[in-house]
Amino acid sequence: MTLASIRDLSAHYSAGGTRFHALDEVALDVRSGQILGVVGESGCGKSTMASVLSLNPGPSLRVTAGTLSVAGTDIDLTDATRGASASHRALRGGTVALLPQGALNALNPTRRVGAQAHDILAAGDRRIKRAVSYERAAARLEALDLPPRALRAYPHQLSGGMRQRVVTALATLRNPRLLVADEPSSALDVSSQRLLVDLLRRLIAEGLVEGIVFITHDVALLSELADRIAVMYAGRVVEEAPARELVSSPRHPYSQALLASVLVPEPGTRGRRLTGIPGSPPDLRAPLAGCAFAPRCEHAMDVCATDRPPRVVTGSRDDSCWRSAETEEAAHVG
Amino acid sequence: MGFLRHLLSKLGWYAAAFAAALGLNFFLPRLLPGNPVDTLVAQALRGGASSETKQRVYETYIQEFGLDQNLGAQFLTYVGNVLQGDFGTSFSRHPAEVSAMIADALPWTIALQLPAVLLGWIIGNLVGAVAAYRRGGLDRGIYLSSLFLTAAPYYCLAILLLYGFAVVLPLFPTGGGWSFGLSPEWSAPFAADALSHWFLPFLSLLLVFIGGQAIGMRSMAVYEVDADYVRFAESFGLPDRKIVGYIFRNGMLPQITGLALAIGTLVGGALLTEIVYSYPGIGTLLYDAILNKDYPVIQAVTLLVLIVVLVANFLVDVLYGLIDPRIRAAERGDR
Repeated sequence: MTLASIRDLSAHYSAGGTRFHALDEVALDVRSGQILGVVGESGCGKSTMASVLSLNPGPSLRVTAGTLSVAGTDIDLTDATRGASASHRALRGGTVALLPQGALNALNPTRRVGAQAHDILAAGDRRIKRAVSYERAAARLEALDLPPRALRAYPHQLSGGMRQRVVTALATLRNPRLLVADEPSSALDVSSQRLLVDLLRRLIAEGLVEGIVFITHDVALLSELADRIAVMYAGRVVEEAPARELVSSPRHPYSQALLASVLVPEPGTRGRRLTGIPGSPPDLRAPLAGCAFAPRCEHAMDVCATDRPPRVVTGSRDDSCWRSAETEEAAHVG
Repeated sequence: MGFLRHLLSKLGWYAAAFAAALGLNFFLPRLLPGNPVDTLVAQALRGGASSETKQRVYETYIQEFGLDQNLGAQFLTYVGNVLQGDFGTSFSRHPAEVSAMIADALPWTIALQLPAVLLGWIIGNLVGAVAAYRRGGLDRGIYLSSLFLTAAPYYCLAILLLYGFAVVLPLFPTGGGWSFGLSPEWSAPFAADALSHWFLPFLSLLLVFIGGQAIGMRSMAVYEVDADYVRFAESFGLPDRKIVGYIFRNGMLPQITGLALAIGTLVGGALLTEIVYSYPGIGTLLYDAILNKDYPVIQAVTLLVLIVVLVANFLVDVLYGLIDPRIRAAERGDR
């Protein structure tokens, strides 16, 4: 069952008359009870998407099109560009929640964690008593095997990994349907990463959140954590597939290149050689006519530079590449 | 334990600062050209007396005030008296007690300054935090008007207000602490009269102070606005009021120093305002004392300023820990 679907999401940053096209007709589905991983290199629009999905885009971002349907509610994302965001404010934290990128600094340094938990709960229910919120937060921490005494601490008194997990617990305190995790693991050492990944799995397993969008540049981590993986490049989703299939047989040339440049723990990893991706990401100031990856792609054809590749759905996966489109056509004709 | 040691070392520094300032307090007024007794004698015996009488009166005063002793001996006497709480008698209004003169003037200054500083601090900082958080036109408007208010010298704004609201529109009296014909007492008519005299100088101080604080807070808060914790709080749809509160608390450390300095310089800052409005406070007292080279009064007032500055700074040191738990932890020696 689909929990949330993002349709036709386009957004750009405007700075001094120049537009930077950050998101270009992005479409994604998050299934109930699943973790959707979103992977891509820096500047591909991952964090921009996280800010839009969590209904809290930055002041210089203009969302020109896009809808988000979460659990039966249709949200027009274009309203979210400040000012008109009052209707979105009510959904933040309760329907969609953000697990932020700089989670280590996500807590107010001059306020006890428990008081911040109260602020979060009070944003959803203005009349909630401090003692009640404290109790609920403590119960939640306990349920997630985190020490409830963290509520009495100031953020600086918690270790980095603990802070990250406490932030995760706070982010899901109001049982949001969809959790958008924006590179929550990038500042953590591997053992803290492990604990965070376990925590996220538990949130899903115990039904505290219904679905997670996990954004990262760490393919190896995603291959373990995610149910499905979407690969982004230059503001577009180029391929989406079940995690195992994407890692073992990527179709889009960018996905192939991305996977060839990292080590994913799987049989045969020992003997592999790593290759980089030649060239650099495209300039996003001008809209791209064809495939964004064409200039760096070893399989590029003439059509790739001029026409945008269609989204080709095969079974439970899809990708947007002219090569796949031709293969598909040949299969139909044949 | 760590905190106690921290406190003691702070106290040591304050004692050293106090000793150094006490010396300056004593010697600086004496560097003024001229002699207090000259002025006094000239006023006391206008023309009429013979030069021999003048000489006699002059010598009596010199001896009475102890000005015939050398500076070192005078300084030791001064320190000894101060330590016993004796500030001596005024030269120019002999034989009035300096401590009584200060006790008369101090309540007026406190009543004028303390509300202006405290209210100005709170309003200024809130305005600054809101401006930084809301950005856009509101921010620019607040920034420019604050810049204007704080750049205008105390006395300019005081004179403008005086001209506008006491001369052109005679809503308020032009000066003094109370009207002629009344004398200070605890009664409703006198209180109302004093309040109407108090309002304009209060307003001029308040406005200048709001401006300075708003600018300071705004420049602190623009950094806080983009902090991760603000974005995180926003992602829960926390009310603006709450988020401004977060920013306020985190941006206010340097502002607390500003508050301490402002309280410390209360008297000095008030000087010009009090002169413009002929307000019967410490500022006017100090001004007259300097004109008459009234060393004991100058010394006592500057000593008072010194003590207030030191105490305010000490309180800030303690207060820092209360506001920011990280500083408290560092002072205790753990993290």
